[in-house]
Amino acid sequence: MLTCADFLAEFGDYLEDAVSSELRAELEEHLRECKTCQVIVDSTRKTIRIVTDSGCFALPADKVEPIVSDVMARIRKKQ
Amino acid sequence: MDIAQLAMLLMSETLIAANESFDQNPDLTGAHGLPPDILHAQSSLPSAIDAERRLLDAILLSQSRLTRLQKLAILRCVSEIGGNEHFRDLHGQLSDQSSDDSALLDFVAKLTRHAPWVSANDVAPLRTCGVDDEWIVEVVATTALGQMFCTLANGFFPSDVPRAFPSLPNPGDLVGTAGPYLGARTRPAEKSRSYAFLKEEYGFIPNLYIVQGLKPDFVEAETYALERIMRHENVLSRIQKEYILLAVSAANLNTYCVSMGGQIISILGGASLEECDQIVEDHHQSQISPADKALLDETRKLAALSQQLGCCFEAEQLRVSGLTEPQIIEAVVVSSLANFLNTLQAGLGAVPDFPPRRVLSPKDLYPSAGKSRPIPDAAVSEDPDADVVRRVQAGDVEAFEELVRRHSRRVFGTLAGLIGNMDDVRDVTQDVFLKAFEHIGSFQGRSKFSTWLTSIAVNTGRQLLRDRKPLEPLEEEEDEGFRPRQIQSWAKNPEQLFAASQRDELVRMAVLRLPEKYRVVVLLRDIQQLSTEDAASALDLSIPALKARLLRGRLMLRESLAQHFIRTENQES
Repeated sequence: MLTCADFLAEFGDYLEDAVSSELRAELEEHLRECKTCQVIVDSTRKTIRIVTDSGCFALPADKVEPIVSDVMARIRKKQ
Repeated sequence: MDIAQLAMLLMSETLIAANESFDQNPDLTGAHGLPPDILHAQSSLPSAIDAERRLLDAILLSQSRLTRLQKLAILRCVSEIGGNEHFRDLHGQLSDQSSDDSALLDFVAKLTRHAPWVSANDVAPLRTCGVDDEWIVEVVATTALGQMFCTLANGFFPSDVPRAFPSLPNPGDLVGTAGPYLGARTRPAEKSRSYAFLKEEYGFIPNLYIVQGLKPDFVEAETYALERIMRHENVLSRIQKEYILLAVSAANLNTYCVSMGGQIISILGGASLEECDQIVEDHHQSQISPADKALLDETRKLAALSQQLGCCFEAEQLRVSGLTEPQIIEAVVVSSLANFLNTLQAGLGAVPDFPPRRVLSPKDLYPSAGKSRPIPDAAVSEDPDADVVRRVQAGDVEAFEELVRRHSRRVFGTLAGLIGNMDDVRDVTQDVFLKAFEHIGSFQGRSKFSTWLTSIAVNTGRQLLRDRKPLEPLEEEEDEGFRPRQIQSWAKNPEQLFAASQRDELVRMAVLRLPEKYRVVVLLRDIQQLSTEDAASALDLSIPALKARLLRGRLMLRESLAQHFIRTENQES
């Protein structure tokens, strides 16, 4: 039976679905028994979802072309 | 006379020799020795400047078999291969050398770019030109000194633009002809200062100095430099400096210096021999402190071979790990000394003084799949930008517009997440594309264009951050000690607790408060959606290191966001 430390050591690959089927089975066996690790897995997945879906650093669509034209103008000026 | 004056002297004499007027070349100040700004960067470390002055004096300025023009041609060759544009720009202004020295420069180029592959077969063509051992020692020492200067330039003035990755030979190209390559083997005179130093330091005279016996003035200068740089406990401890020598030598695949370094560290009471083996193999798995691991992470990138593989030294990572500016400067200086010694050994073929515990070879560049750092030499099978990039490289300037249009969102998003201040991001985004356009000729397609562009954006953003006071980062714990603290359940649909604009602001602040080394990984993987491999390549990290930082960053974000998203009694159960 894995400990929480064992689980956390493999947690990164588990989130990325990059563990073998044998290891996955062991990790999920631990998860069934461990409320703390369940919370960590659930909240970390939600964190990734919230961050991934966030548009907080996105360039607004109407700002793309001004950047394109400014960059090309600077390049043409240097030519 | 300080180094700047010495360099000026060398320069002016050379220009006279080349029938040029000093007055016509004011920008060449210091170009033939140490550029003044490299000296200035070390002003807090006079012992290092003193050591470099002594080496410069012995190897470049003293009477020798090599002509000054030959020495300058060697320095130019080394700077073109091993230096960043900062150093290259200076040396690139030197006059062209005659073609009579093509065998000499072929040897210098191989020693600079592919030192582990140098063998007796590379020395043989030099002999057909009628040169003797003393001349060869001078060539190797001048090349080694050039590497030392390149390291200082790469450490103090890192480039924003990744080096164009050269093709490193495959292990199969290795020719196994053992050294030493020279016939002369002379020990320093027993009454000399170098003899006393080496006996005291090692208990014997190492082969590296015996094979240079024809140039006792070189050995004197080298031992003086060792004493001034390694023995003086200015800011880093002696053991930390030995760790750097060991790690840089390992990155350069230099069995001789690794073998020597491990013995010294164990004798000095640092890590055991077994622990040194672990540092050589993978210092992350060793028992050294987290700060020392960060120190080796970055100084390994200054190894001559790492530079050839496109690694970029990041002083900021050392600052984040708590190292002071003087410590960072000394780390660069010690790395430059390591490259100097490694190049000397590789060029002269000095054999280890005792059986090495680990024989490093170019095959170590190609470790088993999945655990290796990304080798830029690996060809990228499909790059959707390849056709457009080729058109731009062929002179179709207007084709670049399509690349800007395709990638402006990614560059903007990466910079926005790194530097935070949205007012600057648009201008910096333009700067990144201009840098990419200026250097697109050196892009060889060994990574995707988008990966290469992202690395320019990251380096540019980091450069900007260095001049700014960052937002207070989240508390950073030791890697081994980091454990999730917040273990309350989150709401079933946390996104619904806030309006989109509020949620974006919470995420923005949480991401910006992450320490930069975690923030940039989260940005590339979770926000820009790069693959693990592309993100590792753009950040010049190994895949395990990238994964570790990604998990750490995600867990820190989780801790930070939990206060807003935990389930409360009046939410869904």
